[in-house]
Amino acid sequence: MAQRDVKNRIASVKNIEKITRAMEMVAAARLRRAEQRIAALRPYAGAIRRMTRQAAEAAENIPSLPILSEHESERTIAIVLVTRDRGLAGAFNSQILRAGLRAGAEHEEQGRSVVYYAAGRRGVSTLRFRKKDPVGEYVGFTDRPAYANARDIADDVMTAYVDGQVDRVEIFYNGYVSALTQEVRRETLLPLQQATILEASEGDDEDTGHHALVEYEPDPEEILRRLVPDYVEISIFRALLESTASEHGARMTAMRNASENAGELIEDLTLEMNRARQAEITQEIMEVVAGAESLT
Amino acid sequence: MAKTKFDVEVLTPEGELFHDEVEMLSTRTAVGSIGVLANHTPLLAMLDPTELRLYRSESDIVRFAQGEGYLQVADGRALVLVEEAHEPGELSASDLQERLRQAEQALSEAEENTEAARTALRDKRRWETFLRIAEGGGAH
Repeated sequence: MAQRDVKNRIASVKNIEKITRAMEMVAAARLRRAEQRIAALRPYAGAIRRMTRQAAEAAENIPSLPILSEHESERTIAIVLVTRDRGLAGAFNSQILRAGLRAGAEHEEQGRSVVYYAAGRRGVSTLRFRKKDPVGEYVGFTDRPAYANARDIADDVMTAYVDGQVDRVEIFYNGYVSALTQEVRRETLLPLQQATILEASEGDDEDTGHHALVEYEPDPEEILRRLVPDYVEISIFRALLESTASEHGARMTAMRNASENAGELIEDLTLEMNRARQAEITQEIMEVVAGAESLT
Repeated sequence: MAKTKFDVEVLTPEGELFHDEVEMLSTRTAVGSIGVLANHTPLLAMLDPTELRLYRSESDIVRFAQGEGYLQVADGRALVLVEEAHEPGELSASDLQERLRQAEQALSEAEENTEAARTALRDKRRWETFLRIAEGGGAH
Protein backbone atom coordinates (compact mmCIF):
# COMPACT_ATOMS: atom_id res chain seq x y z
CA MET A 1 0.00 0.00 0.00
CA ALA A 2 1.25 3.47 -0.77
CA GLN A 3 2.41 5.64 2.07
CA ARG A 4 -0.42 8.16 1.64
CA ASP A 5 -3.11 5.47 1.75
CA VAL A 6 -1.74 4.06 5.00
CA LYS A 7 -1.64 7.54 6.46
CA ASN A 8 -5.31 8.06 5.63
CA ARG A 9 -6.22 4.77 7.19
CA ILE A 10 -4.38 5.64 10.39
CA ALA A 11 -6.29 8.92 10.55
CA SER A 12 -9.64 7.19 10.14
CA VAL A 13 -8.85 4.50 12.72
CA LYS A 14 -7.85 7.26 15.13
CA ASN A 15 -11.23 8.90 14.61
CA ILE A 16 -12.98 5.61 15.27
CA GLU A 17 -10.97 5.18 18.43
CA LYS A 18 -12.11 8.59 19.64
CA ILE A 19 -15.73 7.67 19.00
CA THR A 20 -15.53 4.31 20.75
CA ARG A 21 -13.79 5.90 23.75
CA ALA A 22 -16.58 8.47 23.98
CA MET A 23 -19.23 5.77 23.70
CA GLU A 24 -17.50 3.81 26.44
CA MET A 25 -17.69 6.82 28.75
CA VAL A 26 -21.34 7.48 27.92
CA ALA A 27 -22.16 3.83 28.64
CA ALA A 28 -20.32 4.06 31.98
CA ALA A 29 -22.38 7.08 33.03
CA ARG A 30 -25.63 5.41 31.97
CA LEU A 31 -24.65 2.24 33.77
CA ARG A 32 -24.29 4.16 37.03
CA ARG A 33 -27.77 5.61 36.60
CA ALA A 34 -29.24 2.20 35.76
CA GLU A 35 -27.63 0.72 38.88
CA GLN A 36 -29.23 3.45 40.99
CA ARG A 37 -32.64 2.61 39.58
CA ILE A 38 -32.24 -1.06 40.51
CA ALA A 39 -31.35 0.08 44.04
CA ALA A 40 -34.39 2.41 44.13
CA LEU A 41 -36.78 -0.50 43.48
CA ARG A 42 -35.62 -2.47 46.54
CA PRO A 43 -37.41 -0.51 49.31
CA TYR A 44 -40.68 -0.62 47.35
CA ALA A 45 -40.44 -4.35 46.66
CA GLY A 46 -39.56 -4.98 50.32
CA ALA A 47 -42.55 -2.96 51.53
CA ILE A 48 -44.90 -4.83 49.17
CA ARG A 49 -43.57 -8.11 50.55
CA ARG A 50 -44.08 -7.00 54.18
CA MET A 51 -47.63 -5.84 53.47
CA THR A 52 -48.42 -9.13 51.73
CA ARG A 53 -47.22 -11.11 54.73
CA GLN A 54 -49.21 -8.92 57.07
CA ALA A 55 -52.39 -9.24 55.00
CA ALA A 56 -51.86 -12.99 54.52
CA GLU A 57 -51.53 -13.48 58.29
CA ALA A 58 -54.69 -11.49 58.89
CA ALA A 59 -56.58 -13.36 56.17
CA GLU A 60 -55.10 -16.61 57.52
CA ASN A 61 -54.51 -17.84 53.98
CA ILE A 62 -53.95 -16.60 50.49
CA PRO A 63 -57.09 -16.56 48.38
CA SER A 64 -56.98 -18.95 45.44
CA LEU A 65 -56.28 -16.43 42.72
CA PRO A 66 -56.25 -17.53 39.09
CA ILE A 67 -52.62 -16.45 38.62
CA LEU A 68 -51.59 -18.75 41.49
CA SER A 69 -53.22 -21.89 40.17
CA GLU A 70 -51.58 -24.14 37.60
CA HIS A 71 -53.58 -24.97 34.54
CA GLU A 72 -54.52 -28.62 34.13
CA SER A 73 -52.47 -29.11 31.01
CA GLU A 74 -49.78 -26.98 29.38
CA ARG A 75 -50.76 -26.51 25.78
CA THR A 76 -49.58 -22.99 25.05
CA ILE A 77 -46.45 -21.39 26.43
CA ALA A 78 -45.81 -17.65 26.36
CA ILE A 79 -42.20 -16.57 26.07
CA VAL A 80 -41.29 -12.97 26.94
CA LEU A 81 -37.99 -11.83 25.43
CA VAL A 82 -36.40 -8.73 26.91
CA THR A 83 -34.09 -7.23 24.28
CA ARG A 84 -33.05 -3.67 23.52
CA ASP A 85 -34.03 -1.10 20.95
CA ARG A 86 -30.43 -0.77 19.77
CA GLY A 87 -27.55 -3.01 18.86
CA LEU A 88 -23.83 -2.19 19.24
CA ALA A 89 -23.49 -4.09 22.48
CA GLY A 90 -21.78 -7.31 21.48
CA ALA A 91 -23.81 -10.52 21.69
CA PHE A 92 -26.24 -8.88 24.09
CA ASN A 93 -29.48 -9.17 22.11
CA SER A 94 -28.63 -12.28 20.14
CA GLN A 95 -27.96 -14.41 23.21
CA ILE A 96 -31.45 -13.64 24.55
CA LEU A 97 -33.05 -14.38 21.21
CA ARG A 98 -31.08 -17.60 20.83
CA ALA A 99 -32.00 -18.81 24.33
CA GLY A 100 -35.66 -17.88 23.89
CA LEU A 101 -36.02 -19.44 20.45
CA ARG A 102 -34.26 -22.60 21.58
CA ALA A 103 -36.63 -22.91 24.55
CA GLY A 104 -39.55 -22.27 22.18
CA ALA A 105 -38.35 -25.03 19.84
CA GLU A 106 -38.07 -27.45 22.77
CA HIS A 107 -41.64 -26.70 23.82
CA GLU A 108 -42.81 -27.23 20.26
CA GLU A 109 -41.01 -30.59 20.04
CA GLN A 110 -43.03 -31.65 23.04
CA GLY A 111 -46.23 -30.77 21.25
CA ARG A 112 -46.93 -27.42 22.89
CA SER A 113 -47.53 -24.27 20.94
CA VAL A 114 -45.55 -21.14 21.71
CA VAL A 115 -46.43 -17.45 21.54
CA TYR A 116 -43.86 -14.70 21.89
CA TYR A 117 -43.93 -11.31 23.58
CA ALA A 118 -41.01 -9.02 22.77
CA ALA A 119 -39.70 -5.97 24.57
CA GLY A 120 -37.20 -3.99 22.48
CA ARG A 121 -37.01 -3.40 18.72
CA ARG A 122 -34.26 -6.00 18.24
CA GLY A 123 -36.49 -8.74 19.56
CA VAL A 124 -39.49 -7.59 17.57
CA SER A 125 -37.62 -7.40 14.26
CA THR A 126 -35.83 -10.74 14.70
CA LEU A 127 -39.06 -12.54 15.58
CA ARG A 128 -40.81 -11.02 12.56
CA PHE A 129 -37.91 -12.08 10.34
CA ARG A 130 -38.22 -15.63 11.68
CA LYS A 131 -41.96 -15.55 10.90
CA LYS A 132 -42.83 -15.77 14.58
CA ASP A 133 -44.73 -12.50 14.90
CA PRO A 134 -44.88 -11.48 18.55
CA VAL A 135 -48.38 -11.18 20.03
CA GLY A 136 -47.16 -8.35 22.25
CA GLU A 137 -44.63 -5.69 21.21
CA TYR A 138 -43.19 -3.17 23.65
CA VAL A 139 -40.68 -0.72 22.22
CA GLY A 140 -39.31 2.76 22.73
CA PHE A 141 -38.48 2.67 26.43
CA THR A 142 -35.48 0.39 26.84
CA ASP A 143 -33.12 3.24 27.78
CA ARG A 144 -35.26 4.21 30.70
CA PRO A 145 -38.00 1.72 31.47
CA ALA A 146 -40.83 3.06 33.63
CA TYR A 147 -42.94 0.96 35.96
CA ALA A 148 -45.88 1.62 33.64
CA ASN A 149 -44.02 -0.25 30.86
CA ALA A 150 -43.64 -3.27 33.13
CA ARG A 151 -47.31 -3.01 34.05
CA ASP A 152 -48.30 -3.04 30.36
CA ILE A 153 -46.40 -6.29 29.81
CA ALA A 154 -47.64 -7.79 33.10
CA ASP A 155 -51.26 -6.90 32.28
CA ASP A 156 -51.02 -8.59 28.90
CA VAL A 157 -49.46 -11.83 30.11
CA MET A 158 -51.68 -12.05 33.21
CA THR A 159 -54.78 -11.40 31.11
CA ALA A 160 -53.74 -14.11 28.66
CA TYR A 161 -53.03 -16.49 31.52
CA VAL A 162 -56.23 -15.85 33.45
CA ASP A 163 -58.40 -15.93 30.34
CA GLY A 164 -56.81 -19.26 29.40
CA GLN A 165 -54.99 -18.29 26.19
CA VAL A 166 -51.65 -19.37 27.66
CA ASP A 167 -50.85 -21.94 30.33
CA ARG A 168 -47.43 -20.79 31.41
CA VAL A 169 -45.32 -17.65 31.00
CA GLU A 170 -41.53 -17.61 30.88
CA ILE A 171 -39.28 -14.58 30.68
CA PHE A 172 -35.76 -14.35 29.24
CA TYR A 173 -33.54 -11.38 30.06
CA ASN A 174 -29.96 -10.38 30.70
CA GLY A 175 -29.49 -10.45 34.44
CA TYR A 176 -27.09 -7.86 35.77
CA VAL A 177 -24.26 -9.26 37.86
CA SER A 178 -21.61 -6.59 37.37
CA ALA A 179 -20.36 -4.23 34.69
CA LEU A 180 -18.28 -7.08 33.28
CA THR A 181 -20.70 -9.95 33.81
CA GLN A 182 -24.22 -10.36 32.56
CA GLU A 183 -26.01 -13.68 32.43
CA VAL A 184 -29.01 -14.91 30.49
CA ARG A 185 -31.77 -15.60 32.99
CA ARG A 186 -34.86 -17.71 32.40
CA GLU A 187 -37.65 -17.39 34.93
CA THR A 188 -41.21 -18.63 35.14
CA LEU A 189 -43.57 -15.69 35.72
CA LEU A 190 -46.84 -17.61 35.72
CA PRO A 191 -48.22 -19.59 37.42
CA LEU A 192 -46.86 -17.61 40.33
CA GLN A 193 -45.57 -19.76 43.18
CA GLN A 194 -47.06 -19.14 46.62
CA ALA A 195 -43.64 -19.77 48.10
CA THR A 196 -42.27 -16.77 46.16
CA ILE A 197 -44.86 -14.50 47.70
CA LEU A 198 -44.37 -15.51 51.29
CA GLU A 199 -40.63 -15.95 51.11
CA ALA A 200 -38.92 -13.72 53.62
CA SER A 201 -35.85 -11.90 52.48
CA GLU A 202 -33.16 -10.80 54.86
CA GLY A 203 -33.83 -7.47 56.50
CA ASP A 204 -37.62 -7.59 56.61
CA ASP A 205 -38.20 -10.24 59.22
CA GLU A 206 -38.78 -8.00 62.22
CA ASP A 207 -42.30 -8.98 63.11
CA THR A 208 -44.46 -6.13 64.29
CA GLY A 209 -46.80 -8.36 66.30
CA HIS A 210 -49.81 -6.06 66.66
CA HIS A 211 -51.81 -7.31 63.70
CA ALA A 212 -54.95 -7.86 65.72
CA LEU A 213 -55.45 -4.12 66.08
CA VAL A 214 -54.94 -3.26 62.42
CA GLU A 215 -57.84 -1.90 60.42
CA TYR A 216 -58.18 -3.14 56.85
CA GLU A 217 -59.79 -1.20 54.05
CA PRO A 218 -61.23 -3.28 52.37
CA ASP A 219 -60.75 -6.70 54.02
CA PRO A 220 -57.36 -8.44 53.82
CA GLU A 221 -58.48 -10.93 51.14
CA GLU A 222 -59.40 -8.08 48.81
CA ILE A 223 -56.08 -6.35 49.43
CA LEU A 224 -54.24 -9.60 48.66
CA ARG A 225 -56.09 -9.92 45.39
CA ARG A 226 -54.31 -6.80 44.25
CA LEU A 227 -51.01 -7.32 46.05
CA VAL A 228 -50.31 -10.70 44.52
CA PRO A 229 -50.34 -9.53 40.87
CA ASP A 230 -47.88 -6.80 41.92
CA TYR A 231 -45.25 -9.52 42.24
CA VAL A 232 -45.51 -10.21 38.54
CA GLU A 233 -45.23 -6.49 37.74
CA ILE A 234 -42.24 -6.09 40.03
CA SER A 235 -40.51 -9.17 38.56
CA ILE A 236 -40.93 -7.77 35.06
CA PHE A 237 -39.84 -4.28 36.11
CA ARG A 238 -36.73 -5.74 37.72
CA ALA A 239 -36.01 -7.70 34.53
CA LEU A 240 -36.34 -4.49 32.45
CA LEU A 241 -34.05 -2.55 34.80
CA GLU A 242 -31.44 -5.30 34.95
CA SER A 243 -31.56 -5.64 31.20
CA THR A 244 -30.90 -1.90 30.82
CA ALA A 245 -27.99 -2.03 33.27
CA SER A 246 -26.63 -5.10 31.49
CA GLU A 247 -26.89 -3.38 28.13
CA HIS A 248 -24.81 -0.44 29.31
CA GLY A 249 -22.33 -2.83 30.94
CA ALA A 250 -22.06 -4.87 27.75
CA ARG A 251 -21.73 -1.78 25.57
CA MET A 252 -19.06 -0.38 27.85
CA THR A 253 -17.08 -3.61 27.53
CA ALA A 254 -17.68 -3.85 23.77
CA MET A 255 -16.52 -0.25 23.28
CA ARG A 256 -13.47 -0.76 25.47
CA ASN A 257 -12.52 -3.77 23.34
CA ALA A 258 -13.11 -1.76 20.17
CA SER A 259 -10.88 1.05 21.46
CA GLU A 260 -8.15 -1.45 22.31
CA ASN A 261 -8.42 -3.06 18.88
CA ALA A 262 -8.19 0.36 17.26
CA GLY A 263 -5.03 1.05 19.27
CA GLU A 264 -3.45 -2.20 18.05
CA LEU A 265 -4.49 -1.50 14.49
CA ILE A 266 -2.88 1.95 14.67
CA GLU A 267 0.39 0.37 15.82
CA ASP A 268 0.32 -2.16 12.98
CA LEU A 269 -0.50 0.50 10.41
CA THR A 270 2.23 2.82 11.69
CA LEU A 271 4.71 -0.02 11.27
CA GLU A 272 3.44 -0.63 7.77
CA MET A 273 3.68 3.06 6.94
CA ASN A 274 7.29 3.22 8.13
CA ARG A 275 8.09 0.18 6.05
CA ALA A 276 6.45 1.74 2.98
CA ARG A 277 8.35 4.99 3.53
CA GLN A 278 11.62 3.06 3.88
CA ALA A 279 10.86 1.14 0.68
CA GLU A 280 10.19 4.36 -1.18
CA ILE A 281 13.49 5.90 0.01
CA THR A 282 15.39 2.74 -0.93
CA GLN A 283 13.75 2.82 -4.33
CA GLU A 284 14.78 6.45 -4.90
CA ILE A 285 18.36 5.83 -3.84
CA MET A 286 18.55 2.85 -6.16
CA GLU A 287 17.26 4.96 -9.01
CA VAL A 288 19.86 7.66 -8.31
CA VAL A 289 22.63 5.08 -8.08
CA ALA A 290 21.46 3.36 -11.26
CA GLY A 291 21.30 6.72 -13.06
CA ALA A 292 24.82 7.66 -11.90
CA GLU A 293 26.16 4.27 -13.02
CA SER A 294 24.71 4.64 -16.50
CA LEU A 295 26.58 7.96 -16.93
CA THR A 296 29.97 6.48 -16.26
CA MET B 1 -53.17 26.24 66.29
CA ALA B 2 -50.76 24.01 64.50
CA LYS B 3 -51.74 20.37 64.41
CA THR B 4 -49.47 17.55 65.51
CA LYS B 5 -47.26 16.38 62.68
CA PHE B 6 -46.37 12.84 61.72
CA ASP B 7 -43.93 11.14 59.41
CA VAL B 8 -45.06 10.28 55.87
CA GLU B 9 -43.09 8.49 53.19
CA VAL B 10 -44.26 8.09 49.60
CA LEU B 11 -42.49 5.28 47.74
CA THR B 12 -42.78 4.26 44.10
CA PRO B 13 -40.94 1.48 42.24
CA GLU B 14 -38.80 4.25 40.77
CA GLY B 15 -37.73 5.61 44.15
CA GLU B 16 -38.75 7.76 47.09
CA LEU B 17 -40.94 10.67 46.09
CA PHE B 18 -41.67 12.37 49.37
CA HIS B 19 -40.49 11.98 52.94
CA ASP B 20 -41.44 14.63 55.46
CA GLU B 21 -43.58 15.50 58.47
CA VAL B 22 -47.14 16.49 57.66
CA GLU B 23 -50.27 17.49 59.54
CA MET B 24 -52.62 15.53 57.33
CA LEU B 25 -52.59 13.14 54.43
CA SER B 26 -55.59 12.69 52.19
CA THR B 27 -56.12 10.02 49.57
CA ARG B 28 -58.74 7.52 48.44
CA THR B 29 -59.03 3.88 49.48
CA ALA B 30 -61.09 1.27 47.72
CA VAL B 31 -63.79 2.10 50.27
CA GLY B 32 -63.74 5.89 49.95
CA SER B 33 -61.86 9.11 50.64
CA ILE B 34 -59.71 9.10 53.72
CA GLY B 35 -57.88 11.73 55.73
CA VAL B 36 -55.14 10.57 58.08
CA LEU B 37 -54.01 12.67 61.04
CA ALA B 38 -51.30 12.00 63.60
CA ASN B 39 -51.98 9.09 65.99
CA HIS B 40 -54.24 7.30 63.54
CA THR B 41 -54.92 3.66 64.42
CA PRO B 42 -52.83 1.09 62.52
CA LEU B 43 -54.25 0.63 59.06
CA LEU B 44 -53.61 -1.25 55.86
CA ALA B 45 -55.58 0.07 52.92
CA MET B 46 -55.72 -0.38 49.19
CA LEU B 47 -55.62 2.91 47.27
CA ASP B 48 -57.37 3.87 44.07
CA PRO B 49 -56.18 6.53 41.62
CA THR B 50 -56.80 10.00 42.99
CA GLU B 51 -55.09 13.21 43.97
CA LEU B 52 -52.82 12.50 46.94
CA ARG B 53 -52.54 15.54 49.20
CA LEU B 54 -49.91 16.02 51.85
CA TYR B 55 -50.63 18.96 54.15
CA ARG B 56 -47.40 20.30 55.56
CA SER B 57 -49.64 23.02 56.92
CA GLU B 58 -53.02 24.55 56.19
CA SER B 59 -51.57 26.41 53.22
CA ASP B 60 -48.54 24.32 52.21
CA ILE B 61 -50.00 21.37 50.36
CA VAL B 62 -48.02 18.93 48.22
CA ARG B 63 -50.14 17.24 45.56
CA PHE B 64 -49.55 14.20 43.38
CA ALA B 65 -51.66 12.39 40.84
CA GLN B 66 -51.34 8.87 42.23
CA GLY B 67 -52.09 5.53 40.61
CA GLU B 68 -53.08 2.35 42.41
CA GLY B 69 -51.30 1.62 45.64
CA TYR B 70 -51.41 0.92 49.35
CA LEU B 71 -51.36 2.88 52.57
CA GLN B 72 -49.92 1.50 55.74
CA VAL B 73 -50.16 3.31 59.07
CA ALA B 74 -48.14 1.76 61.87
CA ASP B 75 -46.16 3.08 64.83
CA GLY B 76 -47.38 6.61 64.19
CA ARG B 77 -45.92 6.66 60.67
CA ALA B 78 -47.61 6.45 57.31
CA LEU B 79 -46.19 4.69 54.29
CA VAL B 80 -47.80 5.31 50.91
CA LEU B 81 -46.82 2.81 48.23
CA VAL B 82 -48.00 3.77 44.76
CA GLU B 83 -47.26 2.31 41.35
CA GLU B 84 -46.94 5.75 39.89
CA ALA B 85 -47.29 9.32 41.08
CA HIS B 86 -46.78 12.55 39.18
CA GLU B 87 -46.79 16.18 40.06
CA PRO B 88 -49.94 17.67 38.51
CA GLY B 89 -47.82 19.98 36.34
CA GLU B 90 -46.03 17.00 34.77
CA LEU B 91 -49.19 15.49 33.35
CA SER B 92 -49.98 16.01 29.70
CA ALA B 93 -53.69 16.21 28.97
CA SER B 94 -53.31 15.21 25.32
CA ASP B 95 -51.20 12.18 26.26
CA LEU B 96 -53.79 11.14 28.84
CA GLN B 97 -56.65 11.59 26.37
CA GLU B 98 -54.85 9.23 24.01
CA ARG B 99 -54.34 6.64 26.76
CA LEU B 100 -57.95 7.00 27.82
CA ARG B 101 -59.04 6.48 24.24
CA GLN B 102 -56.92 3.30 24.01
CA ALA B 103 -58.35 2.01 27.29
CA GLU B 104 -61.90 2.68 26.12
CA GLN B 105 -61.18 0.91 22.87
CA ALA B 106 -59.70 -2.08 24.72
CA LEU B 107 -62.75 -2.12 26.96
CA SER B 108 -65.16 -2.16 24.05
CA GLU B 109 -63.22 -4.97 22.36
CA ALA B 110 -62.95 -7.11 25.49
CA GLU B 111 -65.59 -9.69 26.22
CA GLU B 112 -67.57 -9.19 29.38
CA ASN B 113 -66.26 -10.68 32.59
CA THR B 114 -62.80 -11.43 31.28
CA GLU B 115 -59.53 -10.35 32.82
CA ALA B 116 -58.98 -8.21 29.72
CA ALA B 117 -62.16 -6.26 30.47
CA ARG B 118 -61.22 -5.76 34.12
CA THR B 119 -57.73 -4.54 33.18
CA ALA B 120 -59.13 -2.11 30.59
CA LEU B 121 -61.67 -0.77 33.08
CA ARG B 122 -58.96 -0.21 35.69
CA ASP B 123 -56.81 1.65 33.13
CA LYS B 124 -59.79 3.73 32.02
CA ARG B 125 -60.52 4.85 35.58
CA ARG B 126 -56.88 5.72 36.22
CA TRP B 127 -56.54 7.84 33.10
CA GLU B 128 -59.88 9.54 33.75
CA THR B 129 -58.72 10.51 37.22
CA PHE B 130 -55.34 11.73 35.98
CA LEU B 131 -57.03 13.70 33.22
CA ARG B 132 -59.30 15.45 35.73
CA ILE B 133 -56.26 16.35 37.81
CA ALA B 134 -54.36 17.54 34.72
CA GLU B 135 -57.26 19.78 33.82
CA GLY B 136 -57.12 21.28 37.28
CA GLY B 137 -60.29 19.78 38.68
CA GLY B 138 -58.84 17.67 41.49
CA ALA B 139 -60.29 14.24 42.02
CA HIS B 140 -62.22 14.25 45.26
